[in-house]
Amino acid sequence: MAEHINCADAGRALDDVDLRRRQIVAQIDVPGWYWWGLALAWVGLGLVTVAGNPWLSVAATVGFGAAHSAVAARVIDGRHGSRQLSVRADVVSRHVPALVIGFLVTLVAFTVGIALAAAALDAPQPALIASIVVAIAVLIGGPRLMASVRHRAERSERR
Amino acid sequence: MTSEASQAPEARFDELIHPSTRLSIVALLASADWIDFAYVRDRLELSDSALSKQFATLETRGTSLSGPSATGAEGYKYASPIPAGPPSRVTSPRCAQSLPARSRMSAAWN
Repeated sequence: MAEHINCADAGRALDDVDLRRRQIVAQIDVPGWYWWGLALAWVGLGLVTVAGNPWLSVAATVGFGAAHSAVAARVIDGRHGSRQLSVRADVVSRHVPALVIGFLVTLVAFTVGIALAAAALDAPQPALIASIVVAIAVLIGGPRLMASVRHRAERSERR
Repeated sequence: MTSEASQAPEARFDELIHPSTRLSIVALLASADWIDFAYVRDRLELSDSALSKQFATLETRGTSLSGPSATGAEGYKYASPIPAGPPSRVTSPRCAQSLPARSRMSAAWN
């Protein structure tokens, strides 16, 4: 049987639907362990260069790439940041994986640039210095990148 | 009544999901592929038994179903389409003017 609801109740109901959707949007994220794993791997690659063995460096780089490929496909879409839920695909921008990969590629470029700059300044272990600096950038920049993704998702919800 | 309201599909109250608690549950479920029982309980500030009763009511119409999550925790996902239509019948011309913009939110998850 149809039942009439007054204007105020209808407005409150719509406000509640909006609130609940925004609570899910707030869960768009990449798991914290991903950024920590990335940062530690970056420092690890820097430590491998200290050994001075180019084959070891190549093997470590290939191994890092393979491990990242295996893990990233599942977590960098922003839908699995929480262990308590999985965000629906149409709630999250489909560009999130590309944003994360672009962020990583930029960090690779920064690593090379910082290492070259450190070497030019005759700093000891320039590759290790660069890897530590970039690892810190991963830990700070990664969560901030996802915060901007969430902010854009919230703004698009309000339109 | 405005022409926009007169052309809108007839809205009706759905006794299953439009009571406020179940509406909140369904609104959470509609934006997630899968959601943990504890998350819904904490967001709605309900006890385990109160929330279980709400899920049981929803499940009588096949609206949600329980199943193990990837982590092994008990979780819920939305298993049937949300009934169409905004949550209220327009009862006055002034209401019709204020609701159309906000009703986009309900249309977005229909």
